Amino acid sequence: MGPYPCGSAAGGWEGVRSEAQCTAAPDIDGLLAGAGYRVRSSDLCQVAQRLERLESAMVYNSGGGHADYDHLASDAVHYNPSDLASWVDSMLSELTPADPGPVRHAPAPDGWVDQIYPQPQRAVAARMEEEEDSGIRLVHLLMSSAEAIQRGDAALSGSLIDEMRLLLTRVNTGFGIGKVAGYFVDALTRRLYSVSSPAASGSPAEYEILYHHFYEASPYLKFAHFTANQAILEAFDGHDRVHVIDFSLMHGLQWPALIQALALRPGGPPSLRLTGIGPPSPDGRDSLREIGVRLAELARSVRVQFAFRGVAANRLDDVRPWMLQVAPGEAVAVNSVMQLHRLLTDPDSPGPAPIDSVLSWIHGLRPKIVTVVEQEADHNKTGFLDRFTEALFYYSTMFDSLEAGRANGSAVQQQQATAVAEVYLQREIRDIVCCEGPDRAERHEPLVRWRARMGQAGFKPVHLGSNAFKQASMLLTLFSGEGYCVEEVDGCLTLGWHSRPLIAASAWRADDLEDNARPVPDNFIFSSISSTSNTNDSNNNNNNNNNIINGNGSMLRRNSNNNSRSSDSSSQQESIHGM
Amino acid sequence: MAGSNEVNANESKMVVPLNTWVLISNFKLAYNMLRRPDGTFNRHLAEFLDRKVQANATPVNGVLSFDQLIDRSTNLLVRIYRPTPILDTEDPQTSPSPATSSIFSSLISCPSPDPFPVIIFFHGGSFAHSSANTAIYDSLCRRFVSLCNAVVVSVNYRRSPEYRYPCAYDDGFTALKWACAQPWLHSGKDSKLRVFLSGDSSGGNIAHHVAAQAIESGITISGNILLNPMFGGQARTESEERLDGKYFVTLQDRDWYWKAFLPEGADRDHPASNPFGPNGIDLRGLPYPKSLVVIAGLDLIQDWQLAFVEGLKKADQDVKLVYREQATIGFYLLPNTDHFHEVMEEIKCFVSSNC
Repeated sequence: MGPYPCGSAAGGWEGVRSEAQCTAAPDIDGLLAGAGYRVRSSDLCQVAQRLERLESAMVYNSGGGHADYDHLASDAVHYNPSDLASWVDSMLSELTPADPGPVRHAPAPDGWVDQIYPQPQRAVAARMEEEEDSGIRLVHLLMSSAEAIQRGDAALSGSLIDEMRLLLTRVNTGFGIGKVAGYFVDALTRRLYSVSSPAASGSPAEYEILYHHFYEASPYLKFAHFTANQAILEAFDGHDRVHVIDFSLMHGLQWPALIQALALRPGGPPSLRLTGIGPPSPDGRDSLREIGVRLAELARSVRVQFAFRGVAANRLDDVRPWMLQVAPGEAVAVNSVMQLHRLLTDPDSPGPAPIDSVLSWIHGLRPKIVTVVEQEADHNKTGFLDRFTEALFYYSTMFDSLEAGRANGSAVQQQQATAVAEVYLQREIRDIVCCEGPDRAERHEPLVRWRARMGQAGFKPVHLGSNAFKQASMLLTLFSGEGYCVEEVDGCLTLGWHSRPLIAASAWRADDLEDNARPVPDNFIFSSISSTSNTNDSNNNNNNNNNIINGNGSMLRRNSNNNSRSSDSSSQQESIHGM
Repeated sequence: MAGSNEVNANESKMVVPLNTWVLISNFKLAYNMLRRPDGTFNRHLAEFLDRKVQANATPVNGVLSFDQLIDRSTNLLVRIYRPTPILDTEDPQTSPSPATSSIFSSLISCPSPDPFPVIIFFHGGSFAHSSANTAIYDSLCRRFVSLCNAVVVSVNYRRSPEYRYPCAYDDGFTALKWACAQPWLHSGKDSKLRVFLSGDSSGGNIAHHVAAQAIESGITISGNILLNPMFGGQARTESEERLDGKYFVTLQDRDWYWKAFLPEGADRDHPASNPFGPNGIDLRGLPYPKSLVVIAGLDLIQDWQLAFVEGLKKADQDVKLVYREQATIGFYLLPNTDHFHEVMEEIKCFVSSNC
């Protein structure tokens, strides 16, 4: 198979890597920036001095004999190596507790990162298969067909699809380009011939099954959970009452590990609240509660004080902060694995998108940490051909990695998990290719855009360090298929296959959060409106919220245990307590 | 030791620009943390600290790059750098618009009807560090494309200590054979692969050994370009003793890297490290390619590098030596010295006259 470049040729960023001067913020040394390091020219001298001191300190600590820097390598946690001054300072403070102070450096101006590391069109690792010519032809036909659709030439697109179907009979569709092409031909067919708007099929229960198999068949979700848990654990350090808000509970697969890690915390576990958001169960079963019960049992078995609340909502923007019942004095973690992109709209459409209001109320919760994991791709492009191309290359890499997992897994279970995992991905492909406007949910955007968005919403990055990196790398060694790669990019971690990042994990906190825990401001004490919360009138609730936000901060707080249910699309569920 | 370190810092600071000094010192200290006395390597931390860049199929300054997996069994990736492709307007009926054709089919199109060089590049890192997508090497490869109007194939070879000799050489040879099998890399009326092997530090060592291996396969190589190639031997040479610890590199770390790369129990007179030493091969009369060897006068292993050049000459092979007296290791990483610019010119001339 030929090479798989990424994306269209549009939107290049010429001139960023010119030898003499980067289009960076002024005063950043352009040549070092090209090497991946951000240092202000005015700081160069000081950084050099600090490097000398670091070397002396390392030599000193080696005891004069055989140099042993093990301490720095194995115990110290490294963050954001691109910020060279900070890195040197952190190494120095590990070795020399009494330190005259760090290199003076202001935080990089907003948007600087975008200028040095804008999301380029990435090339996907190619595959050399025997059906190289047929494979190349398939890709060629796919792109032509997509372009015809964009131009409105349904007839040409249809005939190209027929040609592709024919070609697929000659190509091995068991793996490689044949497999992923098949899914895209299917998606194109649906787009062309479906009468009604092809909404995502299947029930939430079915989706959960697909999700579970994708979880089993590949390391992506495990990486997401793992990395987020690490950041949450670190953010909860020193707090006795902690509250995790999970934007998509699913089977709660992420939380046993965190519960166990908290149980083993030096000094004892905090009391943990978990609020899990998920779709309402159509058949009257309370699936959220069931998961909460299981997690509560686990928590009890490891002696962690635990309380669970389920919030049933079809869409994240139906959730209101008062439903989460954040209590004063508790440390809040907001966890979103592949959810935020559903709140985006078409980039061209005017007006605010749901993401803005959601990020705003998250910010209002003053969370200690917000963990965000998203697909590392630009599938939110307006132009169909661009979007199609990007998706083709993204999913072919993703399928390739699944394939390697299947080939290496011996158990029948593994094979089955892979097959069903493909169906999970097929839903995403169909959504991206077939759906337009509000029907399209899989609006993946790359990390660089999320960074900008989180920054604008008032969040500061919390850097994921070398310990998270190392453990993620070790997690991957459990998966045969040596093609996985973890990378650190400006404090975030990505997991990819054959040098193409596919998943990006980042962590954030509200930018005016002080290190000492602050009580939650009065305008988010919503217990006084709980008595009116159970109507179908969400407007009423909003008004109440607004009144409180705008009102006097000296409202009385009443702690309420709200056990009522309502029948509207968003409702609160009973609390479940462990221990 | 601390005292002499201060002296050393002052010496090395006097011969390189400040940003170069910061860059290479940073590498030195980070690398110190990664090598363990027991011979193991902190790979996780190494990968975390390494600054990498993504390939970019959109041309930047006339150069684009993409990654390709060339051997599934070893997960061998190469990053290919090439000049902006000429658009394919052959078939207006079914050929996609310029937007799509420039994405795909033209990536692996012949860059030019005229003969063009293909430079297979092996990055440095003393066999243990760096990757094809490390930022400093991405920059260097892009520069080679513009400099020589070449296609550059940067090989992500397996590194020690996890993969010892001969893995890196095998990967290099795999890349060479792969290049031979790519029609789009052949150029000129005689449709030939005009391939150069090049590398810095350990990459230079790999380039030599791949060239030697290519002899028996009958593959013609137009030239070798070795930048500060990494060689060594059991004896302690004058330059090693004189320059130990003075310009970023110590004898101790050189010993560590050889120990990590060479087979267990081998000493530094193994032909991998010492190709013209007591266990070396005789290249006389064999079609070994022309070589351009660049040596930095402040590199402590220069005596071994000079011995390599001597060895080539004694075997009646064509070798040009470029000796930069006041240059340190890594001078080719940042374009801020005469060493850099003059050596780039030498490389340009060498490639164009042997293409």
